[in-house]
Amino acid sequence: MDIFTIALWVITGIWFVISMIKDKKKTLKSMKMSRKMMGNMIGQILGILFLIGLLLTFIPPHIIKEYLGSSNTIMATIISALVGSITLIPAFVAFPLVGSIVDMGASIVPAVAFLTTLTMVGFVTFNLEKQEFGRKFAIARNSLSFVAALLISMVMGAIL
Amino acid sequence: MIEKLKKNKFLVTVTLIYGILFITNTDKAVLSVKNSGYYIKEMLMIMPVVFLLTSLIEAWVPKKMIVEHLGDNSGLKGSFISLLLGSVSAGPIYAAFPVCKTLLNKGASISSIVVILSAWAVIKVPMLANEAKFLGPKFMFIRWIFTTISIIIMGYIISKLVKREDIPMEEEKIEEDTILLKREYCMGCGLCEKMSPEYFKVENKKAKVLNKNISYKNKEKVKEVQDKCPAKAIKVG
Repeated sequence: MDIFTIALWVITGIWFVISMIKDKKKTLKSMKMSRKMMGNMIGQILGILFLIGLLLTFIPPHIIKEYLGSSNTIMATIISALVGSITLIPAFVAFPLVGSIVDMGASIVPAVAFLTTLTMVGFVTFNLEKQEFGRKFAIARNSLSFVAALLISMVMGAIL
Repeated sequence: MIEKLKKNKFLVTVTLIYGILFITNTDKAVLSVKNSGYYIKEMLMIMPVVFLLTSLIEAWVPKKMIVEHLGDNSGLKGSFISLLLGSVSAGPIYAAFPVCKTLLNKGASISSIVVILSAWAVIKVPMLANEAKFLGPKFMFIRWIFTTISIIIMGYIISKLVKREDIPMEEEKIEEDTILLKREYCMGCGLCEKMSPEYFKVENKKAKVLNKNISYKNKEKVKEVQDKCPAKAIKVG
């Protein structure tokens, strides 16, 4: 658990205890509402987590590395952005991976595109986002994030 | 049972894929389960606290405060508060969904929600430190600046594209010309029965709907009951 997760637990825990002392009924009532909302999501989330496992089996990091380091920068950038949108690999795997290919002399443009879509665009979470925030919101946010990632990578390629 | 399966279509599909994979290629299936392990652990660490947090926001954070700081007229200041909220958070993007949904219910603007969601996903202090370590502080810093700018612009654009009505809310759908009574809110004051005895009756200290379908000529009257109900337990479609 990183420090931020621990901090979140501590703060929320203290707040919860105070809340229970101050007004137990109100706290329990809002927990009931929350439970309903989370109940609607939990099936989806479990599906997402197991889907990530599948994706990682069929698109393992060393294949991603090949695409990122490809010599055709434009194609590499687009493919990297797409791969980043589909997969969800943890930051402690992604940064060393990208770092190693940039050190090998590959262009940073696909690397930035990959890193940015990796977190900002969620192919696997799209369904859940659609369910909770509506189709229009999910499409707008994910497609704009994809475009933003490409723009960021090009600008960074130009100035670095 | 069928209802439940339908609701969890996605999970059912993924389970089926696993089932097929187990038969055709057991090694790959086992590897996939192992790969998922890390993410499941991550979820177990974050979702209980997110659950508590949303309950507490629901219970204690006043609507007025959210509207003031994150609402439609909060402007650039609202975006910065959202950015900060998203950045100091923990956990993957789906952990942000319940929190954002609750804030939205309390009057946060679409633009604020987009900024919180995106910042929650992309900007994390431990992640920035990791990035600086492997790709250099300059790389990290420049990417951070551009990401932040893009997120705020995206919030602005999306708030123009997506309206509040486009977002599904928890509220149950009410059919046209019918009455929905939330019994758990009812205090049994009897006002509805007094105003419109043909539709409402109080039994065991709770109101009861006698006839769910409203005729055209009574619609105005029942609407008035909806507005007068002190517990806001009556909804008219």
